[in-house]
Amino acid sequence: MRFRIYRFDPQTDQRPRMQDYDFTPGHHDRMLLDALIGLKRIDPGLSFRRSCREGVCGSDAMNINGRNGLACIHPLKDLREPVVLRPLPGFPVVRDLIVDMTQFFAHYHAIRPYLINDELPPERERLQSPAQRDKLDGLYECILCACCSGFCPSYWWNPDKFIGPAGLLQAYRFIADSRDKATSERLAFLDDVYRLYRCRSIMNCTEVCPKKLSPSHAIERIRSAMVRDSS
Amino acid sequence: MRLFSGQSAWLLQRLSAILVLLLLLLGIVNLLAAPPGYDAWRALATSTHGAVLIIVGFIAVAVHAWIGTRDVVLDYVHVPALRIAILAVVGTLLLGVLTRVALTVATALAAA
Repeated sequence: MRFRIYRFDPQTDQRPRMQDYDFTPGHHDRMLLDALIGLKRIDPGLSFRRSCREGVCGSDAMNINGRNGLACIHPLKDLREPVVLRPLPGFPVVRDLIVDMTQFFAHYHAIRPYLINDELPPERERLQSPAQRDKLDGLYECILCACCSGFCPSYWWNPDKFIGPAGLLQAYRFIADSRDKATSERLAFLDDVYRLYRCRSIMNCTEVCPKKLSPSHAIERIRSAMVRDSS
Repeated sequence: MRLFSGQSAWLLQRLSAILVLLLLLLGIVNLLAAPPGYDAWRALATSTHGAVLIIVGFIAVAVHAWIGTRDVVLDYVHVPALRIAILAVVGTLLLGVLTRVALTVATALAAA
């Protein structure tokens, strides 16, 4: 199988380059991550993040043949050759396929991803009906892989000010949570020309989410929550 | 830039779009219904209803255009001086268009 992989070592290279590889997958090599590990045996300098190898940690998010995705759940047989691998678009490159996620996580922290409830804690749990719990489906499953934000043109143009689809999805996860009591504050924080409203409903995020979540839907719900909250 | 922040800009953009669409359709239907010629236009501008609708329509266009241009500039132009320059030019042009429309309609009304 032919691969073209983005290579950049800040300590030795002046600019990035695309390197061609030829790799014959072994009998047990099913996914793109297996091929990358095999390639690393041939070229130990090739760098990428990986961990769970089953699509739940989000470490190996990268741009595969022009679309963002997780390397560990992309079957090799479904990939068009030459397989072009690039780091997540719009993110600063640390080395080869490894990107700097600092800004991404800063946005996540900015939306206060924790339950805010200053009422007296109950004896055991803060109760929630099944209907209330259902509202969190499609929101809590986010693995913060950054495939969505890395595919969002608005995030490319303003990565420092726009929260991005991942951050906004998580913001809505807490706005929708019946146990959270800071809804108005959360909505007031997001009501900004940059934080939420750089979103133009391009919907690249939903198209590319490896967990099949819909940040577009969450953002739409935030917008309607804002309208309801202000009127 | 705090003129239209976040949610109000988003709402105004959609409301002005709907208003412009409705007024445009109204105008087209009105003009198609009348016999072709300048008289139909003049009738539109010289009636009080028509004049108000034209001016309101252009205000909606100006608001929509301002918010839209600002969004594009915020996305692509990151140099503050350039940003202010572009927005100032566009803002002045829109104000100019509005004033011109208002004056034209007002003179047409007065003459009628």
